[in-house]
Amino acid sequence: METAENTDTKEVLSVLPWDQFSEWMHCVCVVTFDLELGQALEFIYPNHIELSESERSNICYLAFPDSNSGCMGDTQYCFRIRKGRSTRRKLTESDYLCSKDCPVTLLKDDTHYYGYVYFRQVRDKTLKRGYFQKSVVLLSSLPYFNFFKDIADIIAPEYFDNGEPCLEAACHDIDQWPSPVPGKPLTLPLMGMILHVRIPTKQDKPGRKLIEASDNVASLAPFTLSSINRIDLFESLQGVLPHIHLLWELVLLGEPLVVMAPSPTVCASTVLALVSSISPLRCYCDYRPFFTIHDSEFKEYTTKTQAPPRVILGVTNPFFAKTFQHWPHIVRIGDMGLGNSGGSNPSLLSNDSKLKKTSKLKALDSKTGVYTKYKPFLKKDKLFLKTFAKGLAGKRPGTAQSTLLERHFLELTQSFIIPLERYLASLMPLQKCISPLRAPPSLKPFRPEEFFQMVENNGPQLTSGTKGDWVGLYKRFIQSPNFEQWFLRRRSEIEAKIMSLHLVALSETDLESWCYEKSEVEIVDMVLRLRQKISMVTSHRLEVPAATLERLNNQITSITDSLPPDLRGILIKA
Amino acid sequence: MENLDVNRRMIQVHKDRVVVGFPQAQTKNARIDEKYDFDPRVRQSCASERASTVGLKICKMIIIGDMAVGKTCLVNRFCKKAFDRDYKATIGVDFEVERFEILNTPFTLQMWDTAGQERFQCIASAYYRGAQVVVIVFDVSEMRSLASAQSWLEAAQKENAGSQLLTFLVGTKKDLVTDAIYRDVEHEAIKVAKGLHAEYWGVSSKTGENVKELFTRIAALSFEGAVLRELEKRQFATPPKTIGSSSFRIGSTSTQASSKQKLACCKM
Repeated sequence: METAENTDTKEVLSVLPWDQFSEWMHCVCVVTFDLELGQALEFIYPNHIELSESERSNICYLAFPDSNSGCMGDTQYCFRIRKGRSTRRKLTESDYLCSKDCPVTLLKDDTHYYGYVYFRQVRDKTLKRGYFQKSVVLLSSLPYFNFFKDIADIIAPEYFDNGEPCLEAACHDIDQWPSPVPGKPLTLPLMGMILHVRIPTKQDKPGRKLIEASDNVASLAPFTLSSINRIDLFESLQGVLPHIHLLWELVLLGEPLVVMAPSPTVCASTVLALVSSISPLRCYCDYRPFFTIHDSEFKEYTTKTQAPPRVILGVTNPFFAKTFQHWPHIVRIGDMGLGNSGGSNPSLLSNDSKLKKTSKLKALDSKTGVYTKYKPFLKKDKLFLKTFAKGLAGKRPGTAQSTLLERHFLELTQSFIIPLERYLASLMPLQKCISPLRAPPSLKPFRPEEFFQMVENNGPQLTSGTKGDWVGLYKRFIQSPNFEQWFLRRRSEIEAKIMSLHLVALSETDLESWCYEKSEVEIVDMVLRLRQKISMVTSHRLEVPAATLERLNNQITSITDSLPPDLRGILIKA
Repeated sequence: MENLDVNRRMIQVHKDRVVVGFPQAQTKNARIDEKYDFDPRVRQSCASERASTVGLKICKMIIIGDMAVGKTCLVNRFCKKAFDRDYKATIGVDFEVERFEILNTPFTLQMWDTAGQERFQCIASAYYRGAQVVVIVFDVSEMRSLASAQSWLEAAQKENAGSQLLTFLVGTKKDLVTDAIYRDVEHEAIKVAKGLHAEYWGVSSKTGENVKELFTRIAALSFEGAVLRELEKRQFATPPKTIGSSSFRIGSTSTQASSKQKLACCKM
């Protein structure tokens, strides 16, 4: 008789229901407008998911456009909220695989959720209020802006038309997805369709051709490289094109920045565009594509008793114009006749695109522009702006303009990073300093003055057409959280590298002859230390060749064998 | 020599999934075609394209039918060679992909195993869209499930107007009834199948009887259909990129479905 034993028990054991789902998403929330309660969480799916009080309240308020923006029909945007409690759990094998080759900008966020909103507002005479107003929010720790926007675009309309079982079915589909491992072609079934996705890896060459003629999915283009989190930079920044270099600096330095726009879609996409303009660097400052007065961080972020926090906020409520009066940098995007506001764009190069002084910003002044006193360190890249303006005049398609912008930012950011990387490499201990019998050498400290000196002679001016005070920019950058986090990450990567080099050296040392003149205590100590190092390989996920590990294990055995039997027995048991 | 070629291109295909001869119908009385071999045009096309990997063939198959007739068991028997006697209702849809190699050509069958429960009927339209193959399942020990075959097919046709669906009517749980009862059921089922222009099969997922044969037959016929459609399209237009319209590309400009929605929104 055949029973369940025949099924793949291994698979059944390792994958619990919702395990796969949670690799991609936390939950789906449906938020409705209740006449008595206002915004209310109608339900959460999967229903075992619990949200903290502040998470619930934030989701409810952020799921709807703030104030009476006339968002009729369907509106999509994204928000970001703090995770209520630290959900830090033990890292699983799959977490490791998903993060190993992942670009920092696409890593799972441990501290924030992203809410991908699909809001529908349509006239419905059968309802008391006269309007149907509801939102589907996909909540995830993954900053795959574009991807989840598309997913919401598939799921939400189905749900509005056909009800709850749609969400149930969609979530069930997602629960069958493979883990989001970068670099692998992924086949994702959803609502009767198959999505072909490839999450980029950090080793990908920028602008690399994505559609590889791979064997079995040749004709089904996998998800394009950057499109998983790509923002249409041209569309999102077109109101402020003359100031893109200034904005890039502000984001890079983690300056407090607020984006005021008439709709959540516009402010969210602008904030995301700004954040992604410094890619491959990650913006470690908090950013909120859409922020409302009901947000749990409202007080914290708008306080006037302290300097404005290093955050980037997207807002739509006119009330904020007053709240943020004292903020140093404000991006104002007026009524977007989207598509035409930049039509002639005479100001792209000329000087009448002067920055507006913050003080002039009145509550109702909704003129598009950047309001700041900030003086950029770098000069505008005129050559680029010229090419770009030509494209505008020649009606180059928006996607091509976007690609142009993206590449420009990438080159700029990379020119900025290269000297930092080069300096970091010079802090590496020399190979010959790695002595197997001494502790692994550590990275030399980062000395800003030394670094600035290097930049003077050998800085970005070599790789970038952009002129200006690069050293000044680095000086400010080094004080920002973006630098701090970048440095911490790179340092631990380098330290892991040193550690594995040290292990290789150790495995190649003749420890038996070393033992020759050593006392028992020293030998025992060596065995214990070797063991500890081996266990570190697994705990720290060090990349060490299998042969090295094997040699180390063999060495432990042979050293142990050289000890008197009683001691050997104790050591083996220990 | 031939095997080498096959191995190079189709590493993932298990030998069970290699189809060389033309699989026959189970019964002469209700079958889709009257042939005993692949269409000569298909054989010829596959022979000439052997060296290239262009023209990947994919079909979308949906499995529908009343609750608890054994749709998921049927798929699991074939895809996982397993039978689980415990009943677990399908939530929405389960999805499996099977890769075949037919006439030396790679072929992918997407199987969308849908829920039979009433409450999931509202999602049917999304999942049925773009199907080329419909497998209607009923339980030979529960005649009522045969009676609803017609309405299941209609639901599938509604979402695929204008395209010809390859339809199979499959009676499951053959092991639960005596031979005498089965003969009666089969007689009835063949009548229904003829009315639906479907091919009839009687199987048991528990013992595995006829399951592999059924899926091989489905694969062969749907493959043949896919190749013929492609040949036809090639005659009239530039070569299509994909067969199996159920794939969706994210990141490219909007899909048909979403652009339709956007149009609809604008009107509001």
